[in-house]
Amino acid sequence: MQDSAHILQQQVQQARAEKQALVISGGHSKNFYGYPIVGEQLNTTIHTGIIDYEPTELVLRARAGTPLKTIEKALLEHQQVLACEPPHFSDNATIGGMVAAGLSGPSRPYRASIQDTVLGATILNGKGEILSFGGKVMKNVAGYDVSRLMVASLGCLGLILDITLKVIPATPAETSYVFKVESNKSVALINDMRKQGLPVTGTCQFQGELIVRFSAGLKEISIIKDMLNKHYSFIEWKKLEEQEFWSNLREQKSKFFDQNNSLWRLSVPADANIEAVTKQTGNLLTEWGGCLHWLKTDMQPADIFKHMEKVNGQATLFRSANMPSPENIFQPLTPSLAQWHKRLKESFDPDGILNAGKMYAQF
Amino acid sequence: MAAREVKKELFGRLRGILDAKYILTTEEQLKPFECDGLSVYKALPIVAVLPGTVEEVQAIIKICYSLRIPLVTRGAGTGLSAGAKPNPEGLLLVMTRLNKILSINIITQTAEVQPGVRNLAISEATKEHDLFYAPDPSSQIACSIGGNIAENAGGVHCLKYGLTVHNILQLKGFTMAGEAVTVGSGGLDNTGFNLQALIVGSEGMLMVVTEITVKLLPLPRHVEVMLAAFDSVETAGNAVNKIIAAGVIPGGLEMMDNNAICAAEDFAQAGYPRDAAAILLIEIDGSSSNVDEQLQTTREVLESAGVVSVKVARNAQERALFWKGRKNAFPAVGRISPDYYCMDGTIPRKALAEVLGYISALSDEYGFAVANVFHAGDGNLHPLILFDANIAGQLESVETMGARILEKCIDVGGTITGEHGVGLEKIRQMPLQFTDGEINQFHDLKAALDPANLLNPGKNIPLLKHCQEYRALAKNLVPNRLLTQQSPDSTPSDSSIAKH
Repeated sequence: MQDSAHILQQQVQQARAEKQALVISGGHSKNFYGYPIVGEQLNTTIHTGIIDYEPTELVLRARAGTPLKTIEKALLEHQQVLACEPPHFSDNATIGGMVAAGLSGPSRPYRASIQDTVLGATILNGKGEILSFGGKVMKNVAGYDVSRLMVASLGCLGLILDITLKVIPATPAETSYVFKVESNKSVALINDMRKQGLPVTGTCQFQGELIVRFSAGLKEISIIKDMLNKHYSFIEWKKLEEQEFWSNLREQKSKFFDQNNSLWRLSVPADANIEAVTKQTGNLLTEWGGCLHWLKTDMQPADIFKHMEKVNGQATLFRSANMPSPENIFQPLTPSLAQWHKRLKESFDPDGILNAGKMYAQF
Repeated sequence: MAAREVKKELFGRLRGILDAKYILTTEEQLKPFECDGLSVYKALPIVAVLPGTVEEVQAIIKICYSLRIPLVTRGAGTGLSAGAKPNPEGLLLVMTRLNKILSINIITQTAEVQPGVRNLAISEATKEHDLFYAPDPSSQIACSIGGNIAENAGGVHCLKYGLTVHNILQLKGFTMAGEAVTVGSGGLDNTGFNLQALIVGSEGMLMVVTEITVKLLPLPRHVEVMLAAFDSVETAGNAVNKIIAAGVIPGGLEMMDNNAICAAEDFAQAGYPRDAAAILLIEIDGSSSNVDEQLQTTREVLESAGVVSVKVARNAQERALFWKGRKNAFPAVGRISPDYYCMDGTIPRKALAEVLGYISALSDEYGFAVANVFHAGDGNLHPLILFDANIAGQLESVETMGARILEKCIDVGGTITGEHGVGLEKIRQMPLQFTDGEINQFHDLKAALDPANLLNPGKNIPLLKHCQEYRALAKNLVPNRLLTQQSPDSTPSDSSIAKH
């Protein structure tokens, strides 16, 4: 019987010979993300399973089609977690899709992004070659870092066959508090909390309230309230009672995400002034200590992109209310970067058969 | 144009943009730049230039591009893999005058710096804001951030805080055609391909970086350092794994064997036990309560793992002293041996005892003592092979022994380089880690970003024909620099030695 990697390889080789466009898919949990291209499906769900997991090494290697929930369950059995706290968006989400989309969760600025957790990858490029990069050790600088290049590449450079990730011990306890703080004061407050040594692992600012998650050992968690009393008695705050708050935020099940407008994801410096794109109240939710905004708006994409350029940030049309134009989803690339992207694409996929147009129309 | 005319044209154009004192052309002027920290590999470039502005850098790149002159970028010259060895037909772009910290932003917790800024200078400048730049290679007092980008430098604290690649937000610079390019942004995530990861660690072969935005972290409120002594290297190695398995991620977790302990103790009087077979230095940082909890857990783990003695530094002075021994281990070893050769393999932690046993056997076989100093938490080994380059044949034997250590690292699932880079030093071992297909993909990738192959050519990625040659000769190891590599300029000097 042929192994699943070989089946996928043959499919790519045949598509290359026939110049057939392929659309890489896994659990279809993030179909909304990127331009909805069409073509023959190259589905990773035939390629599943944890290949290697060594809790004492803090390393896990799994095939791309392995459900994310299977991986998280295996890790939890050893009190470990994925540091990047990835959103699933559906029960079928796969580890390959997590890496290809590159979307990290609320803990991203405080623990790790998806790219931070990647140690190695085996890929199937557009020439039908199976190639391995990186490895399973914490430090590896041999050759170019192709495994991290795969993160957020949306399958445009190759199909990820398997991925090796660094995992972390789960923190024994967590607690969250709600602070009455306007958005223009929240970044300074979060910075001060971290300076005081408070173990911040998630923040969410929405309509005059800042919700902060703290994760640590039992002893440290038990004194959070005392520390807040000591340092922040001048602010109104209370304990967050909503149990599912952070998972609802991560999975976009919070009320904020019920919407008819398009949803934009703005990645910016924490001090960026984004008032020009947030004229309505209630249309903005901010995570990552001020570095990630979710914006509900029907503004013209070109205006949003232009403003992001001014503040050295980047915008992505995360969920579109209507069929988007291919050039209106991801922040446009500068000419020199566009040229690099095109050439990189050609170096991995010379015939442009893998997820062509998923990210940018040029490739 | 004939070579002489090209040279004349090059010098003329350079004089049009740079003050003559920043254009070095004579042998006397160029000699200090003939090698990086790995002085076995050396060559003189046609010219070395020291630009003082970004505009000058761009103009120099454009000149090289139009005349098709290879360009090698150099920082502080502390690299350990000959990544910055000059190209004898090329220009050496020395970035040391671009040494300004352009801004420190305490809201975004970032700093914009030029590539010639020393690594340690960033943390020194941000200390007053209770912030620091986490990657801390042992050479941090001298090495530059630009070089750290080129090599994806690590250091003592990267188990917890990550490597250079994890601590960079944005890179500005130029393509080899001299076009301005910005990789990354002021935000944490970026659209498009993950180019920062590609550029960081690319050994100056994909672009020239002129401005870097680094992330800063809040200084830990509380720090404790433990010194744990063991009566066998194996027990110490196993204890490392048990600490990690217990859920403790120390800020630093370092190991030294007896040779290294004695050398460091002679040099720094750090209070290390000379009779220990191995010591672990374990730094726990964080909030006070968190440190207390983790310290207690670590102590229990060490005791169950068979530690002989545990000492917690009583104060900041003693903490500094404990680290002084470790951070000066290389020069300390330099005092007890005329020369040493520093390796940089990384292995899964569980293989520590096995690989150390193998190194010990090689030490007996080749007759060279080895001092082991390494980032145990990361599994990143730095065996220092002690030898005397003035004794004919020793250097070649040491390099062969080093190659065998790297092969062992691959055998146990590791890599030939954890943080020093491939450069020229380990280029021959690349086919141990990569197939021809993978090497080919590297070449295609390089050609995509540097189609004229002018940025630091001949480093990092071997030519396929040499990979095949190497595999054929794998059992008959020959030192890298004695092979007819794709760099015909690898001219070893009899007097050159691997002394750092």
